[in-house]
Amino acid sequence: MSKPPDLVQGTLDLLILKILALEPLNGHAIGLRLRQVSNEALAVSDGSLYPALHKLEQQGWLTATWRTTENNRRAKVYGLTRAGRRKLEKETSDWERLSGAISHVLRLGRA
Amino acid sequence: MPFERWRHVVPLRWRSLLRRTRVERDLDDEIRYHVETETERLIAAGTDPAAARRAVLQRLGGVEAVKERCRDARGVAFVETVAADVRYAVRTLWRSPAYATVAVLTLALGIGANAAVFSLADGIMMAPLPYADPGGLVAVTATYPGGAFEAMRREVRTLTAAAYAEGRTFTLTGDGEAVRVSGTLVSAELLPMLGVKPLLGRWLQPGEDAAPRDRYVILSHALWKARYGEDPHAIGRSIDLDGVRREILAVMPHGFQFPSTATQVWVPLGLDPRDTPRYWAGDFMPIVGRLAGGATREQAREEIHAFQTRVPALFPWKMPADWNNALAVVPLRDAIVGGVRSRLVVFLAAVAIVLLVACANVANLGLSRAFAREREMAIRAAIGATPRRVARQLLTESAVLAVLGAVSGLAVGAVVLAMLKQWLPADTPRLAQVHLNGRAVLVCAVLAIVTGCAVGLAPALYALRLRLRTALESGGRSGSGGASGPVRRVLTIGQVACAVVLVIAAGLLVRSLWRLSRVDAGFTPGGLVTARVSPPESLCADADRCLTFYRLLDARLAEAGELRGAAFVNTLPLTGAIAKRSLEIQGYTVPSGQTAPLVSMNVITPAYFRVMEIGLEAGRAFTAADAAGSAPVVVVSSSTARKYWSGESPIGRHLRFAGEQTWREIVGVAADVRAHDLTMDEPGWIAGTIYVPHAPNGTLEDGRLPPAMTVVARTPIEPARLAAMLRGITDRADVVVDDARTMGEIVAQRIAAPAATASLLASIAVLAVTIGCVGVYGVLSFLVSRRFRDFGIRLALGAQPVHVFWAVMKEAAALCLGGVVIGIAGAAALTRWMSSELYGVSPTDPVTYVSVSLAVAIVTLAASCIPTRRALGADPLVVLREQ
Repeated sequence: MSKPPDLVQGTLDLLILKILALEPLNGHAIGLRLRQVSNEALAVSDGSLYPALHKLEQQGWLTATWRTTENNRRAKVYGLTRAGRRKLEKETSDWERLSGAISHVLRLGRA
Repeated sequence: MPFERWRHVVPLRWRSLLRRTRVERDLDDEIRYHVETETERLIAAGTDPAAARRAVLQRLGGVEAVKERCRDARGVAFVETVAADVRYAVRTLWRSPAYATVAVLTLALGIGANAAVFSLADGIMMAPLPYADPGGLVAVTATYPGGAFEAMRREVRTLTAAAYAEGRTFTLTGDGEAVRVSGTLVSAELLPMLGVKPLLGRWLQPGEDAAPRDRYVILSHALWKARYGEDPHAIGRSIDLDGVRREILAVMPHGFQFPSTATQVWVPLGLDPRDTPRYWAGDFMPIVGRLAGGATREQAREEIHAFQTRVPALFPWKMPADWNNALAVVPLRDAIVGGVRSRLVVFLAAVAIVLLVACANVANLGLSRAFAREREMAIRAAIGATPRRVARQLLTESAVLAVLGAVSGLAVGAVVLAMLKQWLPADTPRLAQVHLNGRAVLVCAVLAIVTGCAVGLAPALYALRLRLRTALESGGRSGSGGASGPVRRVLTIGQVACAVVLVIAAGLLVRSLWRLSRVDAGFTPGGLVTARVSPPESLCADADRCLTFYRLLDARLAEAGELRGAAFVNTLPLTGAIAKRSLEIQGYTVPSGQTAPLVSMNVITPAYFRVMEIGLEAGRAFTAADAAGSAPVVVVSSSTARKYWSGESPIGRHLRFAGEQTWREIVGVAADVRAHDLTMDEPGWIAGTIYVPHAPNGTLEDGRLPPAMTVVARTPIEPARLAAMLRGITDRADVVVDDARTMGEIVAQRIAAPAATASLLASIAVLAVTIGCVGVYGVLSFLVSRRFRDFGIRLALGAQPVHVFWAVMKEAAALCLGGVVIGIAGAAALTRWMSSELYGVSPTDPVTYVSVSLAVAIVTLAASCIPTRRALGADPLVVLREQ
């Protein structure tokens, strides 16, 4: 099994914000969704996911609530705060600008 | 950061900090949820349950590690973990009371000694004087007689100058029984200049320090309380001092002391230009002053220098060319602290070294513990603690130790300071104002922090280099101490070296003290009892009445039969009293630029040399006929004879006092007496010593016989008994008998300061050696425990115990030798700073160096014997079974 490429520094935060913008999820579900939506191309180790969630929560981009699941477990469900939503918009446009610029540079030779 | 973000952030941070258990439980739940859900998912997907769980944990990278990273991500983790570390450290230390006790005790002693000595130095050298605007107060390091002082206060503008003459004793009569009081003559400026207010009454006005408007006296608070029961109506009453009637002008506030604690009365100088000898050659007084009109010390110095070039011309005679050449203007505080400064600096250096030794010791102990806990550390690292995290834990432990050490050190410091105040001679300047102060507490705190870091550093560094696998595999019994062996050895050698430096310094002081106490003072103090008799001034204004009084006293003392001999003298050796007289010596011309020889004159009764056991080197002592005043005679001291009659016998030669007509014949040469202090016959400004009989012509500079005389008696009776006898014989209320003490006490008082210095430094040195021994013991114990198995096997294979013994002792000897050699080098470099404290001993005295080094070596080797013996007891069976 070939090792999936590492995430570019800082993009994990962006991905988490994006996924949570659709609906609030717990940590486990976020991990699953990440793999799912990227077709397993982006593997985030669960060991990195939780510290990232805690950091985003501390910074005020995420808010967490506790819900009891159908099999009676306590699950911590993360959702975006309003500030988190704005953060996501800004990060997205930054990312698009950056990746656009990089793609542009990479296409130079082919033109 | 916008408000809406803060709305989320602030409560979260508070929660993280304050609701720690809650936050921890949430973290637990969150991770557990993940593990359980993910495992179920994998099982549902067809994975074997055990493999599924393993895979989940592996992807997570360890439950504890993830939790730790989450805590770190929470930002407040630092505060939180510090709190946890502190709690953990306290628990750990509680579980190893021996280590904790030794470490805290060592630190407490080190920090306590520093806090106490720092308070002492701070209170004496640094704290501002208790006067208004003390920064402007200065002292001129020169002395001037009254006439020159008056010129100075007329001419010098940069300085409000004041003069004083300390150490007078007066007989106080009127308003109660007669007492002797010690007083200071002051110029009118002195007390107002210091910026204190009188408790009652008023200060002297300008001109009230000059005759005849000077009939005033100012009382100390203590004297006012003792004599007048704090009666405010004492102001304006009259008392007699030495027969001179004076009005009580003021009472000083409680605790005021200038120039020293001894002063009970302040009396105007009584300047009188018509009294030429006293005005120009009386007291040469120190000058203190307040810088005026924003002048600097440098400006004041320049102006006084200029004044100094003019002032000799004012004298009615020629002054020596080099008179007051070296004058300087120094802060008053420095002048008051004076010679104590160098001693305090020695103490400060000594306790700083003790702290170094203590730190090295605790670091060493900490290292031993770090090794002993290798396994624990390895396990902590294996379950996710980073080396930094482990190092921080160790540093926290040291910090906890340091704080405990500082707190107990403060208590130790308070006790030590109280002891120091008892111990130091009472005439140490400003001693009463010294207390454990805020700055000392601050210093303690800083010391604790610095110590904590210093002490924790070594084990923490070690933790950073933890080699986990080795530690786990060898079960914490690896090798012989790994990389830190050299560190520990260096620390120990440093400790021994520091201890050697201190012990050598203390040894030099003790040897110097021993020399001082063995000094041949020129008389035999043992078995001498003394007391001073002060008849009223008026009695001795009349020579005949005065002599009759003393003759009668002498005869009655002899009749009493309790004394093996008694004599009278005006200035008893080693009491600081001097009666100076200017001499004219027949056949001796005063070299140009110099003044006539000024000598110390002792007025004595004929029995004096015999009672004091002062040897006569030539000629004879005084006889009853000399005392009756038949022919004017004089005895000179041996060094005076050598000085003025170089090599020839002075017997039969003549001298006379300046202003006298008749010559006195020299009839004897007496052995030198260490009269000024135990190292000197006379102070530097006195050129010699002479003795004259207590006869009508045995007069002082004022032309009168000395009124107060001291009785010296060779007798086994107590001083109090002698005083009682004298009071019984005189039986007059206006005759004061005081200062009853043995000559031994007077000598002891003279060596009180060096004795206190020596014993204090010796105590500090013993402290350092003790702590150093604990260090050597600790290191060797550690080395032995590391190689215990090794020794056991060697013994089992038939090694001679003596070989094992030497293997360990070789280590010990290397440590001691290294320490002693470095210590000797250090001492040689450092002890020259204390040469001013030494008498008759060179700072590099080989006897002290060798004996002290040997002693330290023996003590440290003895300390290493205990672990060595344990090595010999290594039982191979036990050792091997333990593996």
